[in-house]
Amino acid sequence: MLGDPVVLGRRTAPSRVLFGPHTTNLADPRRPRALGPDHVAHYRARAAGGAGVVVTEVASVVPDDHPMEYAPLAAECPEGWRDVVGALRPYGTLVLAGLGHAGGQGSTAYTPGPLWAPSAVPDPASGEVPAVLDADGIAAVVAGFAASARAAVAAGCDGVEVQAGQHALLRQFLSGLTNHRDDAYGADRALLLVEVLAAVRDAVGPEALVGLRLTVDELAPWAGITPPEARAVLDRVAPWVDLVVPVRGSALSVGATRPDAHTAPGFLRVACAELRVPGVATVLAGSVVDPSLAVDALASGDADLVEMTRAQLADPDLVALVRAGATPRPCVLTNQQCRARDVRNPRVSCTVAAPEVSERVVARRAEPVLVVGAGPAGLEGARTLARAGCPVRVVEAGDAAGGLLRLVAGLPGRERFARLVDWWLDELGALGVGLELGSSVEVPASGRVLDARGGVDRASGGTPIAAALRDGLPPGPVVLDDPLGDGAAVAFAERLAADGREVAIVAPGVLVGPGLARSGDLVDAQVRLARAGVRRVTEARVSSWSGAAVVVTDVVTGAVSSLPAAALVDAGPRAGRAYADRPGLVRAGDAVAPRTVAEAVREGRAAARELLA
Amino acid sequence: MSVLGEPVRLGPRVVRNRIVLPAHLTNAAVARRPTPQHAAYYGARAAGGAGLVITEEQSVDSADRPYEKLVDGTDPAVVPGYRAIADAVHAHGALVLAQLGHNGGQSSSLYSRAPVDGTSDEPDPMFREVPRALSPAGLSRLVDGFGLVASHVAAGGLDGVEVQCSQASLIRQLVSARSPRAVPFLAAVLRAVRSAIGPDRVLGVRVQGDEGVPGGLSAGDAVRVAVAVEPLVDYVNTAVGVATRTLPLIEPPMGVPAGYAAHVPSAVRAAVSVPVIGVGRFTTPAQARDAVTSGSCDLVGVVRGQIADPAFAAKALRGERVRRCIGCNQECIARVGLNQRLGCAVNPVAGRESSAANVLFAASTRAKSPVARVLVVGGGPAGLAAALAAARAGHAVTLAERGDALGGQLALAARAPERRELAHAVADLAYEAREAGVEVRLRTEVAGVDAPVDRVDAVVLATGARPALPDWATGLDRVADVTDVLAGRVAPAGRVLVVDAGRSHAATSTAELLARRGAAVTTLTSALVAAGDLAPTLDRERWRRRAVDLGIVELTDRVVLTARSGPVLDVLHHVTGEVTAWPADWVVHAGPPTPHLPDLGVPAVRVGDCLAPRDLAAAIREGTSAGASLRA
Repeated sequence: MLGDPVVLGRRTAPSRVLFGPHTTNLADPRRPRALGPDHVAHYRARAAGGAGVVVTEVASVVPDDHPMEYAPLAAECPEGWRDVVGALRPYGTLVLAGLGHAGGQGSTAYTPGPLWAPSAVPDPASGEVPAVLDADGIAAVVAGFAASARAAVAAGCDGVEVQAGQHALLRQFLSGLTNHRDDAYGADRALLLVEVLAAVRDAVGPEALVGLRLTVDELAPWAGITPPEARAVLDRVAPWVDLVVPVRGSALSVGATRPDAHTAPGFLRVACAELRVPGVATVLAGSVVDPSLAVDALASGDADLVEMTRAQLADPDLVALVRAGATPRPCVLTNQQCRARDVRNPRVSCTVAAPEVSERVVARRAEPVLVVGAGPAGLEGARTLARAGCPVRVVEAGDAAGGLLRLVAGLPGRERFARLVDWWLDELGALGVGLELGSSVEVPASGRVLDARGGVDRASGGTPIAAALRDGLPPGPVVLDDPLGDGAAVAFAERLAADGREVAIVAPGVLVGPGLARSGDLVDAQVRLARAGVRRVTEARVSSWSGAAVVVTDVVTGAVSSLPAAALVDAGPRAGRAYADRPGLVRAGDAVAPRTVAEAVREGRAAARELLA
Repeated sequence: MSVLGEPVRLGPRVVRNRIVLPAHLTNAAVARRPTPQHAAYYGARAAGGAGLVITEEQSVDSADRPYEKLVDGTDPAVVPGYRAIADAVHAHGALVLAQLGHNGGQSSSLYSRAPVDGTSDEPDPMFREVPRALSPAGLSRLVDGFGLVASHVAAGGLDGVEVQCSQASLIRQLVSARSPRAVPFLAAVLRAVRSAIGPDRVLGVRVQGDEGVPGGLSAGDAVRVAVAVEPLVDYVNTAVGVATRTLPLIEPPMGVPAGYAAHVPSAVRAAVSVPVIGVGRFTTPAQARDAVTSGSCDLVGVVRGQIADPAFAAKALRGERVRRCIGCNQECIARVGLNQRLGCAVNPVAGRESSAANVLFAASTRAKSPVARVLVVGGGPAGLAAALAAARAGHAVTLAERGDALGGQLALAARAPERRELAHAVADLAYEAREAGVEVRLRTEVAGVDAPVDRVDAVVLATGARPALPDWATGLDRVADVTDVLAGRVAPAGRVLVVDAGRSHAATSTAELLARRGAAVTTLTSALVAAGDLAPTLDRERWRRRAVDLGIVELTDRVVLTARSGPVLDVLHHVTGEVTAWPADWVVHAGPPTPHLPDLGVPAVRVGDCLAPRDLAAAIREGTSAGASLRA
């Protein structure tokens, strides 16, 4: 089903799976606004794995839109589009050029002038008041879309996708939240989109595909776009459009567009089904990460295609594996590594897939390897070794595989880590790898070893969070001391509060869980904690704990206060171990230094490659 | 001649004067290499008279990359870039050193995808990543890295090296942990660098004074380290603050006095015989001179002062007035902290020295014809900048301001406590505009322009924006805009609720002003963090201390739904949905104003808030650009 071809306009995609436009920061910094070789490799991997349609990263259609440092500019993209098309042609994958304008959701960090938007409504994220587009500016935007679309098709693209979703001037015009104009573009808020799509269709001709990414629900019914409004808009523009990707969210709810696992997968299914228009293919987007959900949505006729962007980040071969009856590596929906829309310009990555280290290995040495530790580093390392034909034995001191992930999977929003562990175990089983649990095997003094042992708890005044998760806590109020802010304390606090506990988190920064900024969950997390009644004591450190109360000190003013606490949980880092190095032994993950699952997977695979070389 | 103009010997070389441009991040690197922008940027400060330029940190280990645009000095491909920097600085008679450093645990794996190498497994308070503790072999590999990069520096023709042992440094971490390995490691690094650069180039060390952390390093530690390595170096530079923990100590905002860190160089200078560099928010030549004449230091480091005015040094030696850094930190620290290019609110060319925009500005100062008659309407920062740039381009400029004084919103903002230095930006622009021949007409309302009759060739509209109260305030008494308070049109007292609906200091400044007058002030914001917008400019910490002292209560996550007479506001706590009635004696609102765009009957170029209400930097940048590009 997923792997079946599908006719779109006058073209045929080899499968029903779309790899959607997303910020990658993969540009060569010397050509910051072009699509470079790393983009090409990124898209090629998905095409090789069976993607039916690839939409390239959204390119700005006019030069004064420069929302991120490495945001592509259409005028600088033809060469890159040509390279992408050339690389994907052998697989039959259709290439659509993503085209857009971020409007008031852009950034003036990279342009000398102001932001441009329908009305002078400041963006909630940046607070910047935009300048109001006048008639000349609007004409330039329409012309920019048309010229960019013409250039994309001339470069060989099968068509374009016009961005009227999140971070889009066209959505800002459609929405009563951001369009307060008293001219024709305010009286008819869809007018600009109509003009743009007509101009784009005119520019690309009847053969090419015109896609539309359309916000169907801004989750702001008092003024924002609602599903019935979106339906009416689509009815009007349908004559020019071959496929539509409904999405949701406004500038007030950026996190709702591509949420993490706190939102159930497939949340746009109803909206998608209600948006079906004859002649326009509908693409189900919105945390579609499980092949079973995708197949069901296609089979039920709710959609013609599925957008599975993050699923294909987790496993580029998703379509091919599903065709072969295999299970792709599961996306865990944490958004920790794939969300690249961040001023620090992180390159797009994946928590579970470690794209920086190739999976393809040819073993030069086949002597057996002992993997010590069955956490993520050990499991990924063992899989890599076994796939290369190397005899592997895994020993784990604990009574279950998965290491800390097993504990973390018990926390809200992190449940999908259990699927990842199960997937590794299935893979190892299929590869015939022996796994010995409860084994007291120490690291031997000789032989080839992948040391993937975990970290150890630090001596601390409270209960280390891992121990608290494993063994539970005495009844009564709980204070979590959270110097790291990586999200574990937030999730644990949510679970404790759901159990009816009185909970407080003490954090040194202005917000608890600042590490969640990376995943886009930071704001939502504060709201969930507030609603759950979790007290957030910020800009503070724990000074002492009496067994009944915790004394905290304000880091700025030095003021001291007290919180009731039958238990103090130390959510700080685990300690490193002073391991001895020796030839034939390679360490990975927490055995190097206690960090996150992404590092564990990456280093587990890298260690395996080193042992195989 | 000023003491600042006296040459000083640093080991094998002589620096022509006492003014140093110390190391600071510009984010001008591309693909981890120095760029033509680096050369142009440093070259402009050398041309402006600086005696010694010290480049931003060059990494001695490819895996050490806490921020994206850190130059990887280990790559031999950096040498041509170093050569370009050396040439650009030497062309103007200044010396240039490269600063070498390793960030140790004050780093991240975001870019390297490799474990962070630190001195212990203790995570850094900002990056919060558990480092891998370096073994003796790892440390010795780093010594080799310092030597390798120093060889690249020498090959590039720079005049020497400064080893960073301060704000963000593995060596500082060893010193701070009181590790017995600290001084031997630093000495090994210095010997490796000396061996690479030879006896004919300068070698200095930057030592750490106060870390601003309980139990942390202090001036005495700087002395101890300086004395220990004095035989190995030609000078000692000094620093305070930890970049990832007490950054406001390093780059203090407006309101912190010049010389706040002078005790560190003073203590070091008393203990060593090599020259000592002092730093500490010197924004005028007089402050820099006093630092030297008081005996605190031999050379004076001026970073932001030379960002704001590249000719700071030359003007200091000539006794001329400079365009002052006001410590707003908006375009320098705040931008760089967000991985963006260094800029300057009062100097729109800073950080763009090699760009087309700068060519435009520079060309404008030469073009003397054809002369246009230019009318600038509005005397805020955008109008002043436009008038100045147009006058420097040779045009005949009249600036009409309807009020009694220049400065617009900026002059008002400067009336708040701790924000008085904003007035320096107005005063300096006005001074330069008058010097450039701009005719300033105050109390002059321009209702319309008849170009031929009024003999005007071009009009620049810089009419700013007008306060806009929200709909809920309609018809209510004792609800005022912050500008009404700052201008003295109203004097709220009693229980005052300050509603922060904007992104600036307006709400906090006004809250502080009223609290100092005795009002019981509560601030309210819809944001998650009170005064969060003060954080990037490093103002927030000082603000919080003052707010606590003044009893100001800060509420977050709240929006005003409606209001009725009293005034009483119905306030929604948007995370819980709870609505509370808030009675107050006064409500003061800070929100985005509305552009003021009079139709003068002629085509006009719009700049500043009348195009879109933004900040000081945007106003000056846009005004300068418009004024410089006018044509007759």
